[in-house]
Amino acid sequence: MTAGTLLDFLIITGLVWLAWQVVAGRELFRAIIMFIALGLAMAVAWARLGAPDLALAEAAIGAGLTGAMLLATYRRLLEHNPAKGGQRYARSSRLALPVAVMSSLLVMLLGLTLVNIMPVEGEVAGQQAIQLMQAVPMENPVTGVLLLWRGYDTLLEMSALVAAWLALRILQPQDAATLPPLSSSIPLLQALLAAAVPIAVLVGGYLLHAGGKAPGGAFQAGAVLAGAGVLLGLTGSLQRSTRASRLLRAGVVLGLIVFSVLGLGQLAFGQPAFAIPGLWTIYLVEGALTVSIALTLLLLFLGSAGVRRPAP
Amino acid sequence: MQLAPAELLLSLVFAPLLAAIAAVMLGARAGRLLAVMVCLVLAIQLLFLGQRFSADGPFDLALAGIAPPLGIRLALDGLNLLLLWLVTLVYLGTSLHAWASIGAGARGTAFWPPWLLMLSALNGLLLSGDLFTMYIGLEIASLSGISLIALDRKADALRAAMRYLLLAMLGSLVYLLGVAVVYAITGALDFALAGSRLPGGAVTIAALLLMTGGLLLKSAIFPLHGWLPPAHGSAPPPESAVLSALLVKVSLYMLYRIWFWMEVPVAGLVSAGQLLAAMGAGALVYGSIAALRQQQLKYLVAYSTVAQLGYLMLVFALPGAWQGTIYHLLAHGLAKAAMFLAAGNMIWALGSDRLDRLPGLDRHIPASVFAFALAAVSLMGLPPSGGFTAKWLMLTAAWAAQAWVWVLLLLTGSLLTAAYLFRVFALTFAPRSPRRRAQPVRRPHPLMELSALALAMLAIGMGFSGTPLLDVLALPPQLLPGAAPGLPAPLHLTPGAP
Repeated sequence: MTAGTLLDFLIITGLVWLAWQVVAGRELFRAIIMFIALGLAMAVAWARLGAPDLALAEAAIGAGLTGAMLLATYRRLLEHNPAKGGQRYARSSRLALPVAVMSSLLVMLLGLTLVNIMPVEGEVAGQQAIQLMQAVPMENPVTGVLLLWRGYDTLLEMSALVAAWLALRILQPQDAATLPPLSSSIPLLQALLAAAVPIAVLVGGYLLHAGGKAPGGAFQAGAVLAGAGVLLGLTGSLQRSTRASRLLRAGVVLGLIVFSVLGLGQLAFGQPAFAIPGLWTIYLVEGALTVSIALTLLLLFLGSAGVRRPAP
Repeated sequence: MQLAPAELLLSLVFAPLLAAIAAVMLGARAGRLLAVMVCLVLAIQLLFLGQRFSADGPFDLALAGIAPPLGIRLALDGLNLLLLWLVTLVYLGTSLHAWASIGAGARGTAFWPPWLLMLSALNGLLLSGDLFTMYIGLEIASLSGISLIALDRKADALRAAMRYLLLAMLGSLVYLLGVAVVYAITGALDFALAGSRLPGGAVTIAALLLMTGGLLLKSAIFPLHGWLPPAHGSAPPPESAVLSALLVKVSLYMLYRIWFWMEVPVAGLVSAGQLLAAMGAGALVYGSIAALRQQQLKYLVAYSTVAQLGYLMLVFALPGAWQGTIYHLLAHGLAKAAMFLAAGNMIWALGSDRLDRLPGLDRHIPASVFAFALAAVSLMGLPPSGGFTAKWLMLTAAWAAQAWVWVLLLLTGSLLTAAYLFRVFALTFAPRSPRRRAQPVRRPHPLMELSALALAMLAIGMGFSGTPLLDVLALPPQLLPGAAPGLPAPLHLTPGAP
């Protein structure tokens, strides 16, 4: 047995065990932690499968931001009902076993049907993308698909995120409850923030720039920037607000505006719609998307329509 | 005369999208105005697109100049042209209702942007020729639609919205898994291209099963309907109207595209189709009986949707009923939107949605009661109405195929519909009890009454426009006689039939 096979075996067993811990856990907090660990193991699995873009997205959004959101929700639950803290349920969820059995059966059946599929006759989308890559000044086919050839899908995905923010505007607590800020006088915390936030901004910027030739791009960069915002929110440097300022709203829809205008603007030059012309337009669209993605994800974490500076 | 360019298809998606952005930036007053204007603009664009369609037949547009398999194709044919008209007309009527009933205050600020975003997503879904783009369209429409259920943040509405959200996500994920399998075996996402490449066998069955299962859950087809009545019953009236008339229909539209356009080479398709039709029959009977037992007006109308969706499954066993089925989809869309708006007005007037409060209402808001009655005429299938034409077409198809079980079910369904709707009339026209006579009745804004009336008139009007509308609707490839190995036409449900 080679080291690679052993590693795969460990990842697979780990994934199954962690997934079981999430659905069958008797303690809510433990289940959340297991879910975050599951996300990280999943990211490793994607990396092993040669899909670094997915691995990055899974680590940043699947494990990182979703985990932070679940933990924040858990904290609100405790504020609401302190008795829930550390409560152990007498039995695991009634749904756990049926869900686990059904999903395993589904996966097994799909695996069985998919093992010996025949290669497709005719051109496959992936091949077409790799051929078209040679004509553009980029090296990462994932970015090519997301922006150049199926940009319309990416634009719609951005509007799905905006739809989530609009839902948040309806559902947010109307009492302007703020997250209880941690004491900002802890010197260690301030030192950490002073280092972590600039680094996150730098990493986000790098991921955005790298998207052209290596794994990365607007979604990953936006998630990392949102992570910096989450840190600021947790330490009280950003406060929740039930109202979104005009500037903030503009930031949330910026990606949609820039992408729509550039995509449809091609028609004025006699080009097909969404035939993104050059490298500079790609940077423009990606930059605008990054801002919108980072803001929406941050607001979704905070659970409020807007943010504001803390009162001095 | 020059025909509209295919690029005009994009404006059906981007006009409402940009209006939604403007509503976010400029606030409720602008959003409200934009919503009505966008509906009018869409109607004009559909006129031009329809003119091109009648001159040239179906046409499509490859985005970014890249054809499938990699690129995305927007396509217009008879089916989605009719559905786009349905979306536009229902949205116009409900937006006018919301103009008065939601308004431009704090509720309006939260309401108009997702309202417009949902319109953009519905149009995007209907135009898309791509299994994945349809998925995103359905997600945006569901997310916006579900959040609007909870607009007033009442406990029952929040609970209904949460349940709907969780089940809708489950349905989408199952559908998406099916799409992933299709992509793995065909290397394409365009439904026509992917369909032509499907190899048949177990893997194709798995993909079809997953996509169908997910969409059935999203369309609330019995017995997967549990989430629908509380969600449609507790939303604000214009929102209920759009959910019932449009959102559950577009996922069925996707199901039709997959079953009848992908030309799936699977031998067992006939019996699977009969199973789907049997679910429809279950919906028809169960939904109607449940509607009879409701004590709240909007829940009654919501259970009526569960029942009426059953008719739309008939086509899976009875290909001859294609035109009748689509006609029913359109007529039910208009009638049910009208009925939800009218019911909303009646509830607004009374301040309660209990059926036992209805007596005497006809004297106070006759226009809304009349709109409810017109919509009911179409739902029951009385002539002249769109519902009558639809049921007549389905009945003749069932008769021609000698599917007596379906003939019986269609007639029973109409009788049951009449039973639960007449219950509302009997109460509405009954004299008020002296004890309740003193209770005040609020008058709804004229726009709220007129919009309900206009949609109901359209449903009735569909009874007179059968021929031109049906001319637009060609038979899908899989339903052409002898076209596909899977579905020989016509099918027989009764064991004794030849």
